[in-house]
Amino acid sequence: MNAILVTLRKELVSYCYSPVSYLVAVLFYLLHGTLLHALVVAFSLGGADADILPTQSYGLMSTFVMVVLVPALLTMRCFAEERRSGSLEVLVTAPVRDHELVLGKWGAAAAFYALLWLPTVLVLWVLTTDWFLATPLSFGPVLTAYLGMFLISAMLLAFGVFASSLTDNVLLAAILAVLCNLGLLVLPGVLHRHVAPWLDNPWVRQVYEKVWVFDHFSNWFARGLLDTSQVVFYLGGIAFFLFLTVLSLGTRRLA
Amino acid sequence: MIRTSNLTKRFGATTAVDGISFEIGRGEVVGFLGPNGAGKTTTIRVLTCYHPASSGTAEVAGHRVDLDPVAVRRAIGYLPENVPIYTDLRVEEYLSYRAALKGVPRRERRAAVGRAMERCGVLDVARKLVGHVSRGYRQRVGLADALVANPPILVLDEPTSGLDPNQRRRIKDLVRELAAEHTILFSSHILAEVQDVSSRILIIHRGRLRADGTPDQLVGTASGRRLHVEARASAEGLREALSRVPGLVVESAVGTTEGYARAVAAVPPGADPRDAAAAALAPCMLRELRLELPSLEHFFQQVTEGREPVAPVEAAS
Repeated sequence: MNAILVTLRKELVSYCYSPVSYLVAVLFYLLHGTLLHALVVAFSLGGADADILPTQSYGLMSTFVMVVLVPALLTMRCFAEERRSGSLEVLVTAPVRDHELVLGKWGAAAAFYALLWLPTVLVLWVLTTDWFLATPLSFGPVLTAYLGMFLISAMLLAFGVFASSLTDNVLLAAILAVLCNLGLLVLPGVLHRHVAPWLDNPWVRQVYEKVWVFDHFSNWFARGLLDTSQVVFYLGGIAFFLFLTVLSLGTRRLA
Repeated sequence: MIRTSNLTKRFGATTAVDGISFEIGRGEVVGFLGPNGAGKTTTIRVLTCYHPASSGTAEVAGHRVDLDPVAVRRAIGYLPENVPIYTDLRVEEYLSYRAALKGVPRRERRAAVGRAMERCGVLDVARKLVGHVSRGYRQRVGLADALVANPPILVLDEPTSGLDPNQRRRIKDLVRELAAEHTILFSSHILAEVQDVSSRILIIHRGRLRADGTPDQLVGTASGRRLHVEARASAEGLREALSRVPGLVVESAVGTTEGYARAVAAVPPGADPRDAAAAALAPCMLRELRLELPSLEHFFQQVTEGREPVAPVEAAS
């Protein structure tokens, strides 16, 4: 437990020292702000429906960037950099277990990611003021949307950590993670037409619906609906990828 | 403190370490010698639980490396060959993080880090980023990291590689100082250094242990001993007198000025024929009678270049 917290703290400090983090933050806020502004303008012209706002705003391009690109950029260095510089040897010869390192690193990435989202809460508050919508938002859907966003991202971060443990090339780790994130979010939608004939089969249907991550998000969380089976799906995904990471670290023992 | 028996490590078809057995007792300072690629680093990595052994066992501080790796790692302070450390932290921060990772309690951490930094002479760079300090300092930061949790065993993989002579001397002095409290295994291919610091030497070549003993023992068993004699005699007389001494093979005998002659004779390993030679030359005036011992370097060459087979020597202990 101690090793997890120590690793988490050190990684969080490293995130705060790394210029990459700031670059990511700047890009994200810039994009988020611009698009949100456009959305607000659209709402003011067409009359605001405050209940739909969160759904709309999370369909934004900036969200897509935040979910697809940012987790990959945050986690690309996790183990790839340690492998490249050789510091993995120093790390794993300390009296810690592999799963403690993996949990610590993933936890730090998730915490930093949550920190990146934090200022957007401020934007929501600004929206409720008289200058903008001048109407209270229903915070229920907003909260579930944040929760859903965090769960999806935590799973993608877990995959990013795994991708980073596979190679000693930071760029390769990032590309791998981006590809997987894209695939996970977009592919089921793209394949919908091809899968449709088999959807009568309840098994295929179940699997297909569970795997369509973004669908869970836009149909459930973003509407303020909390379905435990989906929460379990994400938690399971996190556990699965972190477990793969521990295995991947363990393969050095087979070398 | 460290015991291996028939330790073998294969990487695919290559065997990096081939059935090594040795034992290192508490308080020993053992130099681990061998040419590049001999298997030193691999052996060390098995001991620090980075690689598992392919067969055979290794035990550190009473814990098997395959059964209780965390306890083994807790007992070892390890300085890897290239001291790869995080360049984005300050020296102090890095050591504090490492101390925490190694389970030094929060209350004692600051003191432990301070002690390690003082020991290794890195106090003056405590606030610098690890990435900004020179190679010598970085090596010492690595050493401070190995020391910070005060483990009973230190394993140092080429602690002086890539350092200038002054830095090398400082590290050497430090190792000597640390020897009072720790069991130390350090690898190197700089022989003079090992001879200076260690109480015992292991030589490994092509994955096999080729020699094990104190520097004196190893040198004692090496071939290449020579007897230098200068006496008041003719060159032929000197040659004849010396060849009467059993074991001596006279290599050269030449007359010098003032009626003296010099001779050089090969001596079998381990023998000291000075008394016999003096007796054989008894009536002559002796000006020099000197037994030249082969250097450790010479012995190392013999072992690793395979000029003659050398049986592993058992340590006296």
